[in-house]
Amino acid sequence: MKTKIYYANIRKLTVMSVLAVIAMGAYMLVDVNFNNERLFAYAMEIRAPKLAVMVITAFAIGGASLIFQSVISNTIVTPCLLGMNSLYTLIHTAVIFFAGSTSMLANNANLSFAADLIIMGVTAMLIYGWLFKKTNYNVLYVLLIGTVLTSFFSSMQSTLTRVMDPNEYDNLLSTLVASFSNVNSEIIIFSLVILALLIFVLRKDLALLNVITLGRQQAINLGVDYDKTIRRLLLGVVSCIAVATAMVGPISFLGLIIANLARQLLQTYRHGQLILGSALFGVIVLVGGQLIVEHVFTYTIPVSVFITVGGGIYFLYLLLVRRRV
Amino acid sequence: MIIKELTKKYDGKPVVDSVSFEIPKGKVISLIGPNGAGKSTVMGIISRLVARDSGMVDFQGEDIGRWKSKKLSKKLAILTQNNHIQMKLTVQELVAFGRFPHSGNRLGKEDMEMIDRAISYMELEEFRDRYIDELSGGQRQRALIAMVIAQDTEYVLLDEPTNNLDIYHATNMMKIVRRLCDELGKTVVLVLHEINYAAFYSDYICAFANGRIAKFGTVEEVMTKENLSEIYKVDFEIQRIQGKPLSIYY
Repeated sequence: MKTKIYYANIRKLTVMSVLAVIAMGAYMLVDVNFNNERLFAYAMEIRAPKLAVMVITAFAIGGASLIFQSVISNTIVTPCLLGMNSLYTLIHTAVIFFAGSTSMLANNANLSFAADLIIMGVTAMLIYGWLFKKTNYNVLYVLLIGTVLTSFFSSMQSTLTRVMDPNEYDNLLSTLVASFSNVNSEIIIFSLVILALLIFVLRKDLALLNVITLGRQQAINLGVDYDKTIRRLLLGVVSCIAVATAMVGPISFLGLIIANLARQLLQTYRHGQLILGSALFGVIVLVGGQLIVEHVFTYTIPVSVFITVGGGIYFLYLLLVRRRV
Repeated sequence: MIIKELTKKYDGKPVVDSVSFEIPKGKVISLIGPNGAGKSTVMGIISRLVARDSGMVDFQGEDIGRWKSKKLSKKLAILTQNNHIQMKLTVQELVAFGRFPHSGNRLGKEDMEMIDRAISYMELEEFRDRYIDELSGGQRQRALIAMVIAQDTEYVLLDEPTNNLDIYHATNMMKIVRRLCDELGKTVVLVLHEINYAAFYSDYICAFANGRIAKFGTVEEVMTKENLSEIYKVDFEIQRIQGKPLSIYY
């Protein structure tokens, strides 16, 4: 059924894609020396992986946050608010802690990421799957427990770093504090493979998202194998968060901002459009933000600060002005 | 649909205790009983929303748990009380979801016709493009029923459809239930609190008390002074209006 909103949204998404491409082009080409071939190649070599990382992150976080919100049927929750990225940081620290900084697991970025991903997948499914079932998808409980879990994971992580050998800690720090100015670009290809695989494996579950937002009972009524689908989608969300956190470190509010902006702009239930919108907002915010950070503020303020400040204000706005929880 | 020895316990306490009955096809069957008698739980179990501890629900020759969820959703529709829809949905889009079991996200011409028919059947044409969250309770309930009609199932299960509706809308809802059965040939099973609606609009009544079936039979058989007093532990009088037994309790 193609309604007016559907076509209006296609136009909106086209405009957003154009904006995203402009932002990406600008990021690659602003202040580049076109006359000197070697300087040009040098700039490209630095900027291309960063751009790739930002686009992948935008898609991973945008998609994950939106799917997560629909699964738990609440639009102010994001995976990050439930401590998924502190869990990832903890796991990454623990792997290096127990394997040692000279091991293969610590030195090969892809191998280390693969180990993190598997452990993350298993533990997060156990913790959050159980949490959702136990609280019967009660958002307030989930949020409350999520907040406690966030600090729990962070304290465990800092305990580990405190008892660590200083040299090992030094080694760990370089991979731990990924940020937009220090992206982990070694795992770009691996991440792309993971994301492509996820989309392929979950394509049927993703098609059920529209129905899932009607709630558990309606979804079952309409023939969805609810619990299984939710578990699979949750695994997808967890993996996406792991990918994003591994590449750029934790950015709490990004998912909240872009998913809600997409919902506000598109006003639809169609998840295909919503996910794409959320990811495009992600690209525009991240790439545009990084562009400003690099060329206007010349790295004095990292883009994550803008996202946290802006996201915090937007979060309050959502809570207080737009709707009740 | 044949229900055999259904049992469900919460924390070791049985809420449904070896319940057996048969749902006659093409009729309206009301489940009544005091709070906590287990009627909603039975409804949940026969619609696969609630897991049972033991017993069988034989639906067209096969146990309900062995049906593929998708296949079952073309035969049986359930509408419960809590329908908090978070999404911005118009009435037409909501009704269109009723076609999901048949056509997934891609709706064909036939689906569109079914949607149109369901909308006009429930007299919702003027609300077609209105958002669900802007509708009144009665209108929203009608939109949900329209979705069930679009789902086009032989069996329709409604859990307290008159809950939160005023007398006007509740009575209309019951008339619609009757029409679903008489005009569209559906088997309708509903959980009701108002005994008189059950008496006036249904063919059979299944009365629950303490997790067991206290009485099951035609309206005439169940609606007696003695039966109702025993089930509800309140004094009853039966009056006949339009040839139907209606109860007065005090």
